[in-house]
Amino acid sequence: MEPGSVALLQGTLDVIVLKTLSWGPMHGFGIARWIQQTTDDALRVEEGSLYPALYRMENRGWVRSQWRMTDNNRRAKYYSLTASGRRQLEAQCSSWSAFSLAMSRIMDATRQPA
Amino acid sequence: MPDAAQNEPRWRRYLRFWRSDPAADVSDELRFHLESRIAENLSTGMTADEARRAAAERFGDVGAVERSLASLTRERETVDRRVAWRQIILQDLRYAVRQLARSPGFTTVAVLTLALGIGANTAIFSAVYSVLLRPLPYAHADRLVDVREGAIGGGSMNVTAGNYDVWRHRSPQFAALGGYQYGAYTLTGLGAPQRLLGFQASSEYWRALYIPPLLGRYFGAAEDQAGAPNVVVLSYALWSSTFASDPHIVGRPITLNGNAYTVIGVAPAAYALTATAPAFWVPLALTPQQRAEHADHELAVVGLVRDGVAIPDAVRELSAVQRELARDYPHGEIDGTIVARPLRDSVVGAVRPLMLVLFGAVGLVLLIACGNVMNLLLARAAVRRKEVAIRSALGAGRARLVAQLLIESVLLAGLGGVVGIGVAVLGLRALLRVSPAGVPRLFDATLNAPVLVFAAVVALACGIIFGVWPALRATGVDLQQTLREGSRDASLVVPGSMRTVLVVAEVSLALVLLVGAGLLVRSAVALQRVSPGFDPHGLLVARIALPESRYPTDSSVTAGFQRIVEAVQSVPGAASVSLVSRIPIDALGMDCMTWREGMNPNDVSGVDANARGATGNYFATMRTPLLRGRTFDAADVPGAPVVVVINQSLAHRLFGDTNPIGRHIAQCAGSAPKWREIVGVVGDMRARGLGQLPPNEVYYPIAQLVRSDAGLVVRTTLPPASLAPAVRRAVAGVDPELPVSGVSTMDEVIARSMATPHFTTTLLVLLGLTGLALAAVGIYGIIAYFVSQRAHEIGVRMALGASRRGVSFMVLRQGLALAGAGVAIGLVASAAATRALAGLIYGVSTRDPVTFAGVAGVLLVVAALASLVPAHRATRLDPLEALRGG
Repeated sequence: MEPGSVALLQGTLDVIVLKTLSWGPMHGFGIARWIQQTTDDALRVEEGSLYPALYRMENRGWVRSQWRMTDNNRRAKYYSLTASGRRQLEAQCSSWSAFSLAMSRIMDATRQPA
Repeated sequence: MPDAAQNEPRWRRYLRFWRSDPAADVSDELRFHLESRIAENLSTGMTADEARRAAAERFGDVGAVERSLASLTRERETVDRRVAWRQIILQDLRYAVRQLARSPGFTTVAVLTLALGIGANTAIFSAVYSVLLRPLPYAHADRLVDVREGAIGGGSMNVTAGNYDVWRHRSPQFAALGGYQYGAYTLTGLGAPQRLLGFQASSEYWRALYIPPLLGRYFGAAEDQAGAPNVVVLSYALWSSTFASDPHIVGRPITLNGNAYTVIGVAPAAYALTATAPAFWVPLALTPQQRAEHADHELAVVGLVRDGVAIPDAVRELSAVQRELARDYPHGEIDGTIVARPLRDSVVGAVRPLMLVLFGAVGLVLLIACGNVMNLLLARAAVRRKEVAIRSALGAGRARLVAQLLIESVLLAGLGGVVGIGVAVLGLRALLRVSPAGVPRLFDATLNAPVLVFAAVVALACGIIFGVWPALRATGVDLQQTLREGSRDASLVVPGSMRTVLVVAEVSLALVLLVGAGLLVRSAVALQRVSPGFDPHGLLVARIALPESRYPTDSSVTAGFQRIVEAVQSVPGAASVSLVSRIPIDALGMDCMTWREGMNPNDVSGVDANARGATGNYFATMRTPLLRGRTFDAADVPGAPVVVVINQSLAHRLFGDTNPIGRHIAQCAGSAPKWREIVGVVGDMRARGLGQLPPNEVYYPIAQLVRSDAGLVVRTTLPPASLAPAVRRAVAGVDPELPVSGVSTMDEVIARSMATPHFTTTLLVLLGLTGLALAAVGIYGIIAYFVSQRAHEIGVRMALGASRRGVSFMVLRQGLALAGAGVAIGLVASAAATRALAGLIYGVSTRDPVTFAGVAGVLLVVAALASLVPAHRATRLDPLEALRGG
């Protein structure tokens, strides 16, 4: 992995994928590209690892998949969120916000420990 | 730019129309990704090579991802398959419901037949569970043993107070050894005086048979001491009836036999194992004299084996003590062994054969019912062959079809089970209404969880057992042939075909059932004919007790009874009034060792004989013949030499054919035998019950064997029951405080003694008739089927001039042939099965030829009747129509 990129934990990748799919159905490559664009390539996901994550979430019933034609008329497998996936995303979002708020408080702290 | 889509062979898309191809899907998906990335890379100006390399690098290890996806896909497929199976079963279930709804006649008959079988089994099983299987209600039920002393000459006896006392101190492997005995008490001060059965029990009785008290406490060690205050523990039944469930009863005094007892506790209802459970418990409190008694076997003993000690080890320890006791007390009639058995066996052991016979019989009924339903299913299988063939042509595999049909039969059995629970509820209610007091623990049988589980298992097993064969039959057919043949069923009633085998089996099972029932009926008839040794008709009996407090001396008791006899004598219709210490059949006499003069009671063991006190006119009242000598007369009063009358059995046993009058016997000798002169010999009475041989009897003048209670026997020419109120009034006229209990006619006493065999007989006859009816339905079904299948042939025969009689006979012969085969097999099976009845029947052999022949005849007649309807129908066939139809 290149310097400057951030290592991803399994659960983190799931949240990112769920968040991506919250905009609407998307194929695997689309998801990879969205992550790349949104984070300015800071989160260098090894793109292959997206697929096991997608399959696992499909087995859990968080996403469902469907073969469709792309704009330039190619067959691609599109993933979309299920209701339970949406609930999962909401739950993850709030815990992520809490976590990142706590982290930034620590990182921005100006007082030394007593 | 070449579109990669064109690289994909088009046919692959159509392949997926038939079924998904997960491996292809995975590689397609990943290829799409890589190609899209390459295309993007190319658009940023990379060379083709660079673009490919950059895409691969960014993607990672394609092979690893593919493997990971493959395993995730497999995981998913298992889940999908499970879901699919559930859907298939649901779909089959829906289909089965539709199929059953489509033929309501078949469904109703099958469900009702099964409900009858399953319901009857469930009801009987709930009785078996209640009586035999469920644990005793006590805290340590599995460690409880009933302990008795082995007797010289075999058998076992209750325990002497002295030996019991020694046991208690020398048996560390027993956590508790509870001693108890029955006592009869009169409860007064609360309305009419009540004669009640109580237990005298030690404190260890409660430690062994422990269930927490409802109120207060049980006896402690203090209550074991002689001279301890009079206290009493009430049974739930007495507390809830006589004391109206008074929550403040503890501490209140009650009057028993004229003495005040303080209530210290109330025992829960669970202590009532039998309908003749004690009404209360008072302390046993053995006196020093009682503790020195080593010859009088009075106590029942229950032992609680210490936790972790094996029951045989504890018994062995006690046996060592018993050997010493046998050596130290040679007059105790004990042989130095201990006879111990699990308490549950001693409570229910006697009724186990009876319960198992009923359970077996009801199982046979279920088998016959299953046979009938299986036959119906086989008939349906024949009808449904076309449907099955079509489904199979549409691609359903045989396993799938069998599964579908099995689901149908299990559903059928399930419905039968549900309706069967209703049948069981009614059956159990009826069973409990007629349940005799002699069967312990039956009275509180319910349809509880274990019973319902039993019903469910039975229903499921039925569904599978009778469903498998028809399902295999229905699906194992040659498809082409069936479709070509149309709806004609080629299979006829042929010897050895499953349907005939079933009917033959049903007939033989029904025969076994009926032979069993027949033997019991014959036994009941034989008992009916047995002469009890007295004339029971026209006798009224009652038990009367004179409380010690007001009749303290022997002479006051004798005078009291004398006044009662005189008062009853004046009742209009009372022809003869007499007293006997224990009324025969109603109660056992006192069992005693008896010696003839010239025998030394210290050396020789005597003959067992009952001791009863009686007035001189007792034998005349009973109409038992005086065979030799005289009975008691006015001279046989206290102070005069004690004389005895013996019965014929004892006379024969002790004196052979010689005349016993004027000779002497001694009873219950101990160290100083008292020799009494025999003045008379009377006929035998079946005093233990009609099914038992007459016991040896020794009668004493009741004035010389004084007891505070006695039986009153009244001979009348009127209907005896009509005298009861007048007799009660006459006794009350002598002393209104006297409890009169057990007022009944002698016929009623005898009927009560036969309640258990009567119960068994009734049930077995009911089950036998049910089996017979089911078998008749089975025969009818197969003969009707035979006629419908042979309609063409019968038409031909009639067209060729066969008479209606001939046709009718041909059909009848079919039915009789099946029944005959069933009867033959059933007779052989019965000869083996009726051995189970050996202990339950009286006066008939288990291979009684009359019963066997009679039942076989009944079955053949019923088979003929069941075949007559279809035979008649066969003669009504219009030959023309039959020929055209075929």
